[in-house]
Amino acid sequence: MLLDTQCTDKKVATEVKMVGAGQGFERTRRITGYLVGTLERFNNAKRAEERERVKHGAA
Amino acid sequence: MAKQIVKRDGCSVLFDSSKILNAIAKANKAVGEEEITATGLLFVTEEVCRLLEARSLSNVEEIQDVVEEVLIRFGFSKTAKAYILYRAEHTKIRDAETYLMDIYKKLTWAPAKEEDIKRENANIDGDTAMGTMLRYGSEGSKFFIDNYVLPKDAAAGHANGDIHIHDKDFYMLTETCCQIDLIRLFKKGFSTGHGYLREPNSIESYAALACIALQANQNEMHGGQSIPNFDFAMAQGVNKTFRKEYVAAFACFLEVKNELDAAEAVARTEVLLQGLPYQPTLGNGEAFGQALLACHGETMRPLLAKTHLHATQKAIQATRRRTYQAMEAFIHNLNTMNSRAGAQVPFSSVNYGTDVSAEGRMVVENLLLATKAGLGNGETSIFPVQIFKVKAGVSFNPEDPNYDLFRLAMETSARRLFPNFSFLDAPFNAQYYREGDYNSEVAYMGCRTRVIGNVYDTERQVTCGRGNLSFTTVNLPRLGLEAKGNTAAFFTLLDERIDLVFRQLLHRFKVQGSKKVYNYPFLMGQGIWLDSEHLKWEDSIEEVLKHGTLTIGFIGLAEALYALLGKHHGQCEQAQALGLQIVQHLRRRADEKARETGLNFSLIATPAEGLSGRFVALDKQRYGTLEGITDKDYYTNSFHVPVSFSIAAFRKIQLEAPYHALTNAGHISYVELDGDASKNLEAFETIVRFMHAQGVGYGSINHPLDRDPVCGYIGVIDDCCPRCGRKEGEGVSEEALLQLKKQYHDVPM
Repeated sequence: MLLDTQCTDKKVATEVKMVGAGQGFERTRRITGYLVGTLERFNNAKRAEERERVKHGAA
Repeated sequence: MAKQIVKRDGCSVLFDSSKILNAIAKANKAVGEEEITATGLLFVTEEVCRLLEARSLSNVEEIQDVVEEVLIRFGFSKTAKAYILYRAEHTKIRDAETYLMDIYKKLTWAPAKEEDIKRENANIDGDTAMGTMLRYGSEGSKFFIDNYVLPKDAAAGHANGDIHIHDKDFYMLTETCCQIDLIRLFKKGFSTGHGYLREPNSIESYAALACIALQANQNEMHGGQSIPNFDFAMAQGVNKTFRKEYVAAFACFLEVKNELDAAEAVARTEVLLQGLPYQPTLGNGEAFGQALLACHGETMRPLLAKTHLHATQKAIQATRRRTYQAMEAFIHNLNTMNSRAGAQVPFSSVNYGTDVSAEGRMVVENLLLATKAGLGNGETSIFPVQIFKVKAGVSFNPEDPNYDLFRLAMETSARRLFPNFSFLDAPFNAQYYREGDYNSEVAYMGCRTRVIGNVYDTERQVTCGRGNLSFTTVNLPRLGLEAKGNTAAFFTLLDERIDLVFRQLLHRFKVQGSKKVYNYPFLMGQGIWLDSEHLKWEDSIEEVLKHGTLTIGFIGLAEALYALLGKHHGQCEQAQALGLQIVQHLRRRADEKARETGLNFSLIATPAEGLSGRFVALDKQRYGTLEGITDKDYYTNSFHVPVSFSIAAFRKIQLEAPYHALTNAGHISYVELDGDASKNLEAFETIVRFMHAQGVGYGSINHPLDRDPVCGYIGVIDDCCPRCGRKEGEGVSEEALLQLKKQYHDVPM
């Protein structure tokens, strides 16, 4: 057991250490007037609305 | 006979024997035979009343028992049976426990990402213990309200999607929101429960107590809380902080210069600053310096001049630093204290931008800088909602005293989405404005609610201490569908819905008015709500609630127009004309109702969140998928041009602005900008100025605001983070992050 652990530790040390795997991007959007820090908490209807928003040209 | 009868919801109403007569008549009619004559009906009713009195009964269930008994005794067995069936049917609805238990099962076992019901409000984490407890309470309460409280027509209208009663779970409990005047609240100090908070004496305490006030009031109301005069209120804290810093720096200089010990220096400072006509402030440095010199002899003057200069500079520096930290803490607190029913942060809003004093300006500058800097790892703060007041002569034009703050506000908004902009020059806002009186400046709640006009008390058309009592929304697209292209039929149906909403709002107002001051120990007990300071602990709040607004709202104007004309208001002039006619009609009806009742009936462009999908789902079931109407998963917000419709920003503003003038209980318009708005400030300002010119009341500019929590990049992220190159969910090597850390200060490691 002890040998095993030492062995694994050594292996990790020589590998490239990666961070952030599994983490998504934060997308802050405005709904109803409030901001929400993540689209995950939007209900299905508001998700659909956010997805379909088109940009307005300012020219 | 008992004068009052007790209904199922616990309310007492006046006894009315005609109700018994009508119920018996209805049951008899349902039978179709065994006709009871008019005299017979009177006779039976009289007998019921006699028995009720003899047995002194006053409860609805008991009364129904007696009706059954008398009908049977008089030989109307079929009518009695119909009456019993009718009762049983209603009891069955009330007893539909399985329905509620099914909801509880979902809330308990399904993760929020799978169940829409757990994501009804995007700022509540439905997966946490308190988030779930809140949802149990809310669903249980809705069940109770539907089955025991609501008038039948309102309950049916809500259930079938003709109307939507917002915050129905709070029907028996409280009101929506309030605009809190911190200046009044702080003056005498206040209490939120245990112990007493004295009047604050530094900007840090002002900011901390502002959070406490927002939080305490939040837990007594179901909607958001706003501070309408944030700069004016916090300025007093800056003022006190500056004075203390000035005196301390003054003493410090004397201590070093004259080689005094600390206590001596303080005592000397006190003597020197005594007897002056006014106090040193952030804005009066020069005048105060002259007054100080004038007060003392020739020999003292050189030293005093130097001391004053030093004290002023030091005090300005220290006050600025402390104000920044106080504003930073204010924002951090409001984003992190999950003190709204334990599951979310309070829904807070702050309005500012018109205080031209040096103190007020320092507050706003530092609040904006702290907002721009972001939270601990550079994240965008989502609370408080910030609203910058745009006013010509104050903040709008380059020569105005607060124009620099307006510029900074736009710079901040281009980076962080806040602040939004309110326009005090829009005619419907300008009519209330009195120079130098913050109470006359329109403020907006974060969600868009606006409260200023007051038919109940026309002398008090003010912002502070008032808010919305409740609001209910009409499903406009359904009316469009029911009218089958006939505009006249549409208006007839609309009037029916409006009548229903008004009846329901008044019913709710009666429930709200039956509460006492002790139900709202902070809101009413501490005198935050207008005129509540004159009430005693046991007093009813009905009269003071009349300062609040009773509001009708609407959703899906675009889809309703599409149903009527085959086009929405972004597509054709005729649709825009009809759209305005519809909203004008709603407003006219609200105004008439306000005059008739003396209550503040008003019209809002509903800020629908949960509702955006509910109506369309019900209409899809009823009418199928119809192009331009029910073919999306949501109805378009209020009077907005549909979000998926291609239109230039200026055209959108032009089309939506006239609706702002009509919706006196609140409105907002958005423009969606492409790309990184902070790199295109000129376009940003042009749009805001156009909103001002067109008579928009409240608006904001949306732009993509993404952040990679791994490398800290903020901006637009499509598939791939422009800074560290990772895709959503991918890892990045620690080595690469360390390299980035050397380049960028905001890499969170």
